Amino acid sequence: MDCNEIQARLEQFVDRELSTDEAAEVQDHLDRCPPCVHIYHFETSMRRLVRRACCESAPESLRAKILEAGR
Amino acid sequence: MSAYAVQGEDGFTQPQPPATGFTEEQALEHIDALYRTALRLTRNPADAEDLVQETYLRAFRFRDRFAAGSNLRAWLFKILTNASISRFRHTSRESGDSSLDEMEESDLYARVAGDSGRGESAEDELLNAVLDVDVRQAIEDLPEPFRLAVVLSDVEGFSYKEIADMLDVPLGTVMSRLFRGRRILRKRLTDAARSTAA
Repeated sequence: MDCNEIQARLEQFVDRELSTDEAAEVQDHLDRCPPCVHIYHFETSMRRLVRRACCESAPESLRAKILEAGR
Repeated sequence: MSAYAVQGEDGFTQPQPPATGFTEEQALEHIDALYRTALRLTRNPADAEDLVQETYLRAFRFRDRFAAGSNLRAWLFKILTNASISRFRHTSRESGDSSLDEMEESDLYARVAGDSGRGESAEDELLNAVLDVDVRQAIEDLPEPFRLAVVLSDVEGFSYKEIADMLDVPLGTVMSRLFRGRRILRKRLTDAARSTAA
């Protein structure tokens, strides 16, 4: 696969949605292609950023209300 | 929200009905994840609480449709997304087919990759400068179908298949919503990073 084909699969690679063979091929390419590694890093940074921002906990009062209603 | 629980892997109802149900404690283990997803969907705490409460009420009511041992978290999220879609259908006019295709992501990548002389952490540093509140805003600005796909995948870590089952859409639709949603997000976050750095 060339860089374009690798980059088209990077999101699925990060999402662990590629077949074992395809994932191995992408990994192999990343091991020797700095520009693609850059995009890979950018993708993983995006995911990290999004997860970091979305980490709210439910209010205790909501938990209590639900337990109350469940009885 | 039918069918999730009662069918065997071969698609036929199993001769021995599986054990069903779950405890309230088991269901409540997922309340934080459901709540933060509800926050992204409703964009405000009061509606998010209502949505989560409705989700649990439905879950408790249909408890016997849940096959013990199957994925409770995915089942609860399916109820949440169904409840959200029916609740907000009348207000949603977002088709998701706006002018996204015109967006040039190759341009964005080129600019990011252009910093490569500074080493691999350049883009991480750039993105790390974006405040959480701006990230949440960028997510909440996404058209609803894209937002849902991004949150379910990137925040909650569901697989494409799980999301497709949850939303009753083909796998290809999940991927297309996800990739287009991320494309918008990428642009928004990079813009935000640049303005923070400037």
